[in-house]
Amino acid sequence: MGRPGSAKPTINTRGKRGRRLSLIDTDVHTQPRSWDDLKPYLPAGMRERGFPIPDTAGTGYANPIGVLRRDAFPPRGGPPGSCYRTLRQQLLDAYPIDYAILTGAEIVGIGTSADYYYAPVMAAAYNDWLIEAWLGEDPRLFGSLVIAPQNPGAAAREIRRLGGHPRIKQTIMTSASRIPYGNPFYHPIYEAAQECHLPVAIHPGHEGSGISGPPTSAGYPSSYFEKHTNISQSYMAQLVSLVSEGVFEKFPGLKFVCIEGGFGWVPHLMWRFDKNYKALRIQTPWLKRLPSETILEHVRFTSQPIEEPPRTSQLLELFEMMRADRVLMFASDYPHWDFDSPLAAFPKVPKELGERIFWRNAQELYGLDDPAPEIEERRDG
Amino acid sequence: MAERYRVCTTAELLPGERKIVDAGGRSIGVFNVGGSYHALLNLCPHQRGPLCLGQVTGTMLPSPVGEFRYGLEGRIIRCPWHGWEFDLTTGKSVFKPDRVKLKVYPVTVEPACSGSQAANEPRVETFPVTVERRWIVVHV
Repeated sequence: MGRPGSAKPTINTRGKRGRRLSLIDTDVHTQPRSWDDLKPYLPAGMRERGFPIPDTAGTGYANPIGVLRRDAFPPRGGPPGSCYRTLRQQLLDAYPIDYAILTGAEIVGIGTSADYYYAPVMAAAYNDWLIEAWLGEDPRLFGSLVIAPQNPGAAAREIRRLGGHPRIKQTIMTSASRIPYGNPFYHPIYEAAQECHLPVAIHPGHEGSGISGPPTSAGYPSSYFEKHTNISQSYMAQLVSLVSEGVFEKFPGLKFVCIEGGFGWVPHLMWRFDKNYKALRIQTPWLKRLPSETILEHVRFTSQPIEEPPRTSQLLELFEMMRADRVLMFASDYPHWDFDSPLAAFPKVPKELGERIFWRNAQELYGLDDPAPEIEERRDG
Repeated sequence: MAERYRVCTTAELLPGERKIVDAGGRSIGVFNVGGSYHALLNLCPHQRGPLCLGQVTGTMLPSPVGEFRYGLEGRIIRCPWHGWEFDLTTGKSVFKPDRVKLKVYPVTVEPACSGSQAANEPRVETFPVTVERRWIVVHV
């Protein structure tokens, strides 16, 4: 069959050293073949406890068509995202990808575990495994440090323990929380992340699992379909909390990444937020400027799942309204069921905007270099 | 004028099975749906995903609120990317059948010609069998 990635990309542009730039994928999921593979990374006396990770299936929200792409099961067994060769063939080599940011998968759900002693233990074991099993495989791969935000002290220690690793580019936690993420309870996490120059990212999927709040602000819907459609609600609430409670005033070097939470709502939120600030700022006098200005400086959004309005022109307008040239970064979500193809998800966008979305915004955020010569060769060869 | 591509013999594509073939550079999925054959372009109109690698299944039919009525078992294919459902026998999508459809190709079943053996093919001793070999042919 024709390879999905065999068509010529339309998004090439040139870096400052004249090299061809293609794209950075900011949401790629990998996982172990089996959780048993991670047991050796757990401390003595805890290995038999394994990885009890809360998920939304336990609350009743199982995806009826499966969360994993059916064409992404590795030929030699294991789940999608567990085999480097398959990932390379279906993603890294199939598309012109310079770098991919690995964002974990189920493991992010440890942030909804009630056991705030054991959740950070699972995070540390996973992070050690990630570095050993994946981050030496390919110069295109960078990792996200998984943390358990329900134990901010332990999360901050984990960030300081591994945050200096050259292939770790951010820290990641679930978007589903018990208390909104702007609350001072979480500030030790942001202090450590700022100190280690790591952006803090949130990833959805665990809304309604474990100790997190109900998956929507209206309560518990009946279907995965409803829950999944409402994921943007938790992103809106987290973002309003982070800005209002002064996280970016207190930690001016901090960057925050909203992965897979949609972005059509961003203009609405910025406009409403600014409007209310003008009248109600006496409740948050530490905010020195309009909330939208803080968002544009400190927050980034990933593109997948791309919004699909009836007309392409509406998406281009949305890009303008949300300042996509500053804040939007391409993501595929490989190998999940709602994967966005780097070649087919986007309409034709103006060249400069394309360079920002597919490359430059992520390159600046994560401090990535223009592609190394060996990556160039690998891609051209 | 359509080109003819042999897919396989009827014995090699039983009900519920599929074959994905290369027909002059096009990837095409050929399906046996309860004894009839259907061919679709292996390219989802949404994001060009490999549709024909998806699950062959049934679907929930339109029903009153709170009821679930399963039907069309074996007639629906679901794209492995994003889960869009299509009717294998018509190529039409389930969610918007008149607007979103797949490219479909005619399929015929033709008797295998007994004199088709090439001159340079080694001769082997053969025995008469009761099942007549027939080719499934897709017209692209």
